[in-house]
Amino acid sequence: MKVGSAKAVSDYVVQVSLPAGVSTGSFLSILTFNIGGVVDSATVQAQARNNDFGKGWLDNNSAGSGPFRLVRWDRGNQVLLEANPNARLKPKLQRIILREIKEPAVLRTALESGEIDIAEGLTPEALRALRSNSKFRVLTSDSLRLNYLGLNVKEGSPFANAKVREAVRWGINQAELVGGIIQGNGTAIQTIIPKGLLGYNGTMTYKYDPVRAKRLLAEAGLPNGFEFELVTSTGQCGGGIPCADIAAKLQADLAKAGIKANIKAIASAEALRIYRAQSHQAYLGGWSPDFPDPDGNATPMADFAARSLAWRNVWNDATAARMANQAALESNDAKRTALYKLLTDYMVKSGPFVMLYQPSIPLGISANVQGYVRNAQSQVRFENISKTQ
Amino acid sequence: MLAFLVRRLLFVVFVAWGVTFATFFIANVVPIDPAIAALGDNAREEQIREFRERNGLNKPVWQQYFIYMGRLLSGDLGQSLRTQRPVVDDLREFFPATMELSISAFVLTLLIGIPAGIVAALNQNKTTDLTVRILALIAGATPVFFLAVILQYFLANRLDLLPVQGRLDGFLFPPPRVTGLGGLDALIDALRGGGRERWAVYLDSLRHLILPSIVLASFSAAILTRMTRATMLEVLSQDFVRTARAKGVSQRVLVFRHALKNAALPILTLAGSLLGGLLSGAVLTETIFSWPGVGRYITQAASSLDFPAVMGVTLLIGLVYALVNLVTDLLYAFLDPRIRYA
Repeated sequence: MKVGSAKAVSDYVVQVSLPAGVSTGSFLSILTFNIGGVVDSATVQAQARNNDFGKGWLDNNSAGSGPFRLVRWDRGNQVLLEANPNARLKPKLQRIILREIKEPAVLRTALESGEIDIAEGLTPEALRALRSNSKFRVLTSDSLRLNYLGLNVKEGSPFANAKVREAVRWGINQAELVGGIIQGNGTAIQTIIPKGLLGYNGTMTYKYDPVRAKRLLAEAGLPNGFEFELVTSTGQCGGGIPCADIAAKLQADLAKAGIKANIKAIASAEALRIYRAQSHQAYLGGWSPDFPDPDGNATPMADFAARSLAWRNVWNDATAARMANQAALESNDAKRTALYKLLTDYMVKSGPFVMLYQPSIPLGISANVQGYVRNAQSQVRFENISKTQ
Repeated sequence: MLAFLVRRLLFVVFVAWGVTFATFFIANVVPIDPAIAALGDNAREEQIREFRERNGLNKPVWQQYFIYMGRLLSGDLGQSLRTQRPVVDDLREFFPATMELSISAFVLTLLIGIPAGIVAALNQNKTTDLTVRILALIAGATPVFFLAVILQYFLANRLDLLPVQGRLDGFLFPPPRVTGLGGLDALIDALRGGGRERWAVYLDSLRHLILPSIVLASFSAAILTRMTRATMLEVLSQDFVRTARAKGVSQRVLVFRHALKNAALPILTLAGSLLGGLLSGAVLTETIFSWPGVGRYITQAASSLDFPAVMGVTLLIGLVYALVNLVTDLLYAFLDPRIRYA
């Protein structure tokens, strides 16, 4: 979009002209994203430096019409928001403070002592303790992230054979993974569009069946199984669980089907470098769409030409790419949903991914806080929150 | 004296150059791509290319070094890859918090360490001495994070005497930034007027300083206590002390004028390096108490391979260390008239 393609028709109506070939559906989805907001152009332009459209000034100030305005950002410490006198929506609370507390034990103490009201990043033990304490409740908020296994299908790789990829899918005990290691902080999923976005397909095609996995391997000419390297990060995967723990669970499951995974846990930037260079055999990681629209997953995962996830796994499939492109441009929701159904069903079987789970984010909340709702994009309408003493 | 000062300042410059040289090349030996680390999974190839170009990462290492040094000479530490702000701005924001915490911990170290060491030495092998030695041993041996969590649990959570973390209570509005030292800024703000509420802010910022200062000071106070005790014992056993005692000099004059003055040099040396250590980033204490100082900043920078930030902090810490040492050396001459610098 170019500068000038949006204009104010009246006080409350904005008209946006999209370039040809851009889906109105995707555009409307993107508008719900919280990385951008409407600001008063005169105020902001007055602060512009070096043609930055006032971006530098907006780092420490706000000029929007939302219910809260930024008062102060002490980096690494806190963000102070207070009720915006210019807003039409009047919040129930006058001030919101966002604090950065890195240490989970301190986070718990701060919540329990009443210094803070809502905490994200608590340990499973802390959450268990809060669940049995009447002064608190535990909320689970969704995310649009997907944790998955990327299988490199380049020539010569055992994963080049679709039957081997299917064997891996039958060989993973997803129910145990989600119920056990993930400790319930996630939902099992097998398709490429997360729950919460248009086109989500909840079909669960594969159930844990190592015997079937072995049979598929034999059909693929690997009756004695095979060995591969599984690259992952030493950091955490969605749901607050170390990726290496998830890798170990996959390793144990796959071993029963005769597949030996050698785990290589390294710094996440290095794991990513390997993945981006197509140098992995299998990669365990996560993906969040760039914007809250199914196309944020479909094109990267289905279209080789997008040089994203399909490309990294050397999966060049014209059918999938065509379906993804067609769905991206479709402006009728019902038709779009139907197209994504076709794509997701197709990729469950033939794609280079083994989708594992969609993590959720547990939050500890003081019982005297009401109205806190957090959606899958991590957005919270602060104006709806209230607090009793 | 002047010649000495000039020589030492030149040495500080040399140390600073050494620090930049070492950190720069260590940073470039690490086989990890900072562009991928900064931009992550979703970045497109052209975004990564553009990032490398913008930050000069595609140039040969020696060329990058000269560009870095050129900028450094004009006071530019480059831009942080993580915060996307000039490193100088970040340091200006985070270093005062570290300074506030470490200076208050240092004052606490001196206030506890020196008197405790003297009292222990004067009561050698008696109950007081034994108590001081055991306490110093415990304080010196307890890991910082353990002590912090225990104190937070009892003093903050159970007894509700002190805040758990942070620099100011959420209900209070922080003072405008003047020095960056929260307590001092609050004091300035209160003195400018504004009534009781601003004084409450000042008192609250002091309350927030207590726990982290105690935790940070515990180890250094323990070391200083033991050092003071040992040095005092040595001095007290010397002939001139016995002579002074025989001449009937009072205990107070004996301890403060004769013994302590002679014990001062090793104590000062240790205190200097302790201050350097405290200022160079109390990573654990800052993390546990959510104290937004350089310790926490460099930890986050290092884990996201933000090399400009890591180099900036390392250089700052190197300079602080060298300057603290210089001041310590200069203080020697004041304390001991036999020492003269030329």
